[in-house]
Amino acid sequence: MATTLLETKGLRYVYPDGTPAIRGVDLRIEDGERIAFVGPNGSGKSTLFLLLNGTLRPTAGEVLFRGRPLQYDPRSLRETRRRVGIVFQNSDDQLFAPTVRQDVAFGPVNLGLPMEEVEERVEMALEGVGISGLKGRPPHHLSGGQKKRAAIAGVMAMEPEVMILDEPLSNLDPAGSEEVMELLEELSQRGTTIIISTHDVDLAYRWSDRVCLLADGMVMDEGRPEDIFGDPRHLSGSGLRQPLILEVYDEISKRDLAAFGKRPRTVSELVGHLSPPNLRWMKVPPETEVGERIHPEGIDSVGPGRDKSEEVLVIHLQGGRAVVETLDKSVRIGRVIVYDTDGGDPQALSSLLADERIDLVGVMGTKSRAFAEKNKIVSDIGSNVIDRTILRALCGEAVLVITNGGMVEHAKRRIEEYCRQSGMKIEVSVVGRGADRAGSTPVPAPANAGKRR
Amino acid sequence: MHNSLLDDLALASPLREKSSRLKLALVAAALLVGVMSTSPVAPLFIALTMSFASIRLGKVPAGFYGKLLAPPLVFALLGTVVILLFFGSGPEIFSISLLGQSFGATAEGAELSILVLSRTISGTSCLFFLALTTPMVELFALLKGLRLPDSFVELSMMIYRYIFVFLEVAVGTTHAQAMRLGYDGLLRSIRSFSMMAGTLFIRSWEQGERLYTAMDARCYDGRLSLFEEKRRVEVQELLGACGYVAAITALAYITRGTSLI
Repeated sequence: MATTLLETKGLRYVYPDGTPAIRGVDLRIEDGERIAFVGPNGSGKSTLFLLLNGTLRPTAGEVLFRGRPLQYDPRSLRETRRRVGIVFQNSDDQLFAPTVRQDVAFGPVNLGLPMEEVEERVEMALEGVGISGLKGRPPHHLSGGQKKRAAIAGVMAMEPEVMILDEPLSNLDPAGSEEVMELLEELSQRGTTIIISTHDVDLAYRWSDRVCLLADGMVMDEGRPEDIFGDPRHLSGSGLRQPLILEVYDEISKRDLAAFGKRPRTVSELVGHLSPPNLRWMKVPPETEVGERIHPEGIDSVGPGRDKSEEVLVIHLQGGRAVVETLDKSVRIGRVIVYDTDGGDPQALSSLLADERIDLVGVMGTKSRAFAEKNKIVSDIGSNVIDRTILRALCGEAVLVITNGGMVEHAKRRIEEYCRQSGMKIEVSVVGRGADRAGSTPVPAPANAGKRR
Repeated sequence: MHNSLLDDLALASPLREKSSRLKLALVAAALLVGVMSTSPVAPLFIALTMSFASIRLGKVPAGFYGKLLAPPLVFALLGTVVILLFFGSGPEIFSISLLGQSFGATAEGAELSILVLSRTISGTSCLFFLALTTPMVELFALLKGLRLPDSFVELSMMIYRYIFVFLEVAVGTTHAQAMRLGYDGLLRSIRSFSMMAGTLFIRSWEQGERLYTAMDARCYDGRLSLFEEKRRVEVQELLGACGYVAAITALAYITRGTSLI
């Protein structure tokens, strides 16, 4: 049921000085998609974006928004720009007003909205990007990440149908990048179509639904990230490299060590490839032989969630360590509890937090992070939460994920999808919403009693 | 890195939240009373209260305030010495001879110089109070409210914002030049500085173009109707301000003509 939102047909653009920038681009962008344009510097990404919102007028070809060609009279342009928002690469180009609040209000005021609604939208946008506390500040008092978020809020306040971000992570530190990416994830959950340009192949690979490889003003290749980045030959000459996860995966897979067919996009999926869960390395007593059954009690620092008294079969020996197979087939895997801060009962949360059996707490989403800060909840996992939660759960730990809104469903879905693909069983329960409360157990069974880090 | 600018102190000031109109009116009234007073008592009282307000209510570090007040104070003192020695008539209260020339001060001259000094301090502290509690960002709304031309206010807003962007570029460029010995010697310094200024000009030109594109992308239509911050005046604040103005006016009236000497 995906409908085409933006489309270009034979798009060409030549700069006034005669340099061709876009040389025939045919694109289709579906509603709700997450697209990453990757390509070397000067490949025409920024120019393409300016063509998409009508700032530049194509030399040949056309841009269609919901099937209708863009018109270039002032009235239609206004409409286009309301629907197609651009966040520029350099935040200083965009933030011009004396205070953050005035800057965010600029767009809505230009749309001619009544003051009350402007106020409302500004509040929502600032809350959405998590910088409500900075609204009275002038932009030169903000850090790079805060400036970027203010710039995103300025576009968000116009409620565009598609948001285009030109190099959203340039000049940001890793923590700032993670925050911006999480924000984009939230926006995407709310149904906004998102287009980004980036050099960061790891990011494009992990985040996007579709990747467009741009070079010399042309689309060299497009498709699912696994396909685009999967073949190094596609990338040769594009100034890009393979994502690290894929590179590792390819090496594992060449050695016939990869388990299931789908290419991994996250660390947790990569780990899922590595080995059957009942095989592992451990230290063994000196006299052990292959084929022997031993009880490795007190020999190895046993990972959490694994009973110390289990019996294992030695399969392969190497320098005091051995590959062993766990004979007790029920491999213990941790649990995940998702707490919804939107409709949550604080009582349930404090009892969860006080619970000795919860090993880790992860906080996801700008609103929930503010919530956690207010309630002095220390989060062990602050970024890339779902992925790390899966990884910890695979090691037998119980993880409490604090989040809200659409992210609750999203987290649940991602984990369940992972379980389906890998054949592992991670139990997920949601706490805090009336609809789910009946079906979920607020307190998990002991995953690793008495241990808390 | 910005904490030495007056504007940054004003941004952090708790009095920022108060109505800038009220502050402006208060300062204007105090300034007028201070200048019109014929005795140094009222101006000194104003200087004291304004400094107190800046430091205690405005949370300006006292040391910083002292440093801020020192240069105008020294300047005023020098002027006062001149007035003391060359103005006024009547009996001399003391005289000194310097390089064979005799300089004398009369009681009238002393009185006048003290009055001028007190007025200067009072005026300076009033303006510092305004500058330290009202950042530029609040003043724009005030300027607009005072019916100044829109284009004037809009231009000043953008200039204000981009001063900091260009300041950063200028500092960066200067460092890059200094690192490669661009400021070694006077001639080279002049050359480097002119190059920096030229770069800055081109940068600001380009910045203008990019700014226009960015504003255009958010439906800019030539009118910059910015959203204003509303600051309500509380009754107590209004009464307090009126009381203060009444008190200093009364003080100036009662002490009119009295002198400290």
